[in-house]
Amino acid sequence: MITAEQKPLNEILDYISPYDRIILVGCNECVTVCAAGGRKEVGLLASALHLNFLKHGRTVEIKEITLERQCDPEYAEELVSEIDRTDAILSMACGCGVQTIAARYNEKPVFPAVNTKFMGASVSQGIWEEKCQGCGDCLLGITGGICPVARCSKHLLNGPCGGTSKGMCEIAPDVDCAWCLIWERLKALGMEKRYEEIMEAKDFRAAGGGGPRRIIRKDLSL
Amino acid sequence: MMNPTLIGNKKDEQMTFQNKLSKGDFVVLAEMNTPKGVDISDLVTNVRHLKSRIDAVVIPDMDNGVMHMSALAGGSIIRQQGLEPVIHIYGRDRNQMAIQGDMLAAHVLGIHNLLVVQGENIIHGDHQNAKPVDDLNELDLLDMVQSLVKGTDLAGFELKGRPQFFTGCRVQPIRDDNHLEKEIISARAKIDAGAQYIMVPPVFDIAWYTHILKQFTSLNVPVIATVFMLKNVGMARYLSINDPGSKLSEELITRIRKAKDRETECIHIAGEMIKELKAEVEGIMISASGWEDRLPAILDCAGL
Repeated sequence: MITAEQKPLNEILDYISPYDRIILVGCNECVTVCAAGGRKEVGLLASALHLNFLKHGRTVEIKEITLERQCDPEYAEELVSEIDRTDAILSMACGCGVQTIAARYNEKPVFPAVNTKFMGASVSQGIWEEKCQGCGDCLLGITGGICPVARCSKHLLNGPCGGTSKGMCEIAPDVDCAWCLIWERLKALGMEKRYEEIMEAKDFRAAGGGGPRRIIRKDLSL
Repeated sequence: MMNPTLIGNKKDEQMTFQNKLSKGDFVVLAEMNTPKGVDISDLVTNVRHLKSRIDAVVIPDMDNGVMHMSALAGGSIIRQQGLEPVIHIYGRDRNQMAIQGDMLAAHVLGIHNLLVVQGENIIHGDHQNAKPVDDLNELDLLDMVQSLVKGTDLAGFELKGRPQFFTGCRVQPIRDDNHLEKEIISARAKIDAGAQYIMVPPVFDIAWYTHILKQFTSLNVPVIATVFMLKNVGMARYLSINDPGSKLSEELITRIRKAKDRETECIHIAGEMIKELKAEVEGIMISASGWEDRLPAILDCAGL
């Protein structure tokens, strides 16, 4: 999923303080799962903003709405009935959601309330780690299900480097060396020979090197 | 022991390009690409033919996203031939560490003139699978040069010996007045960030060129106009279609097509443009795009 973290309150306040009527829009998808911008966080942020404005003698109208999926134009339509009664939109979705809303409601300023972080997975309660960089040419089939692009700090396709020590990466003692994990996993699978196959330099067009990427499914498009 | 700031730098003696521009003398620059390979004979020959006739040679770096010998080496070769180099710097292929390292190298190799440019998108080049870096944009690069000149790198660490640079910026091809307004704002920001001269891309309509140059000269830094040498009808047609800012008219294409000797006509077109522009700007930069051996003929035609 896409992970996110709430922005510092002061930064959010800087964005919205010129406005008196705000829609605070959450999203029921990824940001709900990583507890950054779901219905619960929308409620908490709205309360924090109310309190902060009250401290400065201001009453700001904050309408709380959580959409099923903010990156989907179909759900963005749900704001239509409210949009004329608002001065600005504060979105708690990832960057994809913020941009979908901004594109749909061109006449209203839209601000992000979270920083979109990475594509990751939960490793334990309250901890998410980066697992995928969307390089567009998945290597997991030959690296034992562990991604060197996202999880090796040097993105090495033929690792490890000299900075590996007892299975950990030199950048920090609590970061796994992806190539140690790959080796151990290939060994467990009896696929050690894969390790000896040299991977060629990546084609970065698939990773976005040539500009913004797009998927066109002719079988699905209208 | 020699003062480290002076190693590779005899600034007052060597930087005629900067001196001439600051004195208000008209400067003539020529663009020359480094080879795709290690055979530098054409580059050296072309430089020798022009040595007494131009003030500096502009060396692009991986121009149009095509892999060539680096501009740093090109600039060094130009220096060895006794001419002053101006090298392009841009952020597409190098991160801030690599660029800063190259800037320090440039100084000690006697390269003190820089032109900050935007790199062509990698997808238009000849190594389309390469990873674009884009660590620093044009304004960041100008800030970086300022920082190095003041003796500090981008991480805030002090340098042992300060490099000296004369740094310019380039503006984008301009389609219309609305676009011109944006480019003026952008050029002003670049000047605020340390750009000491502006290079304007080629235009083939003298009225439009004069119009936009007037706007840039009002920014109070020297303006250098680029004169691009057309090589044939196909090139002219391509530019007229793909570069609306070039304002390349059908009449000009017809003039080349109907000429008895098209190559000579192209040389005349470039020479005439230089003559027309001479009164408008502080200098010109001739881009011959591979026909650098025709540069003396263009200068003859322009009376330079």
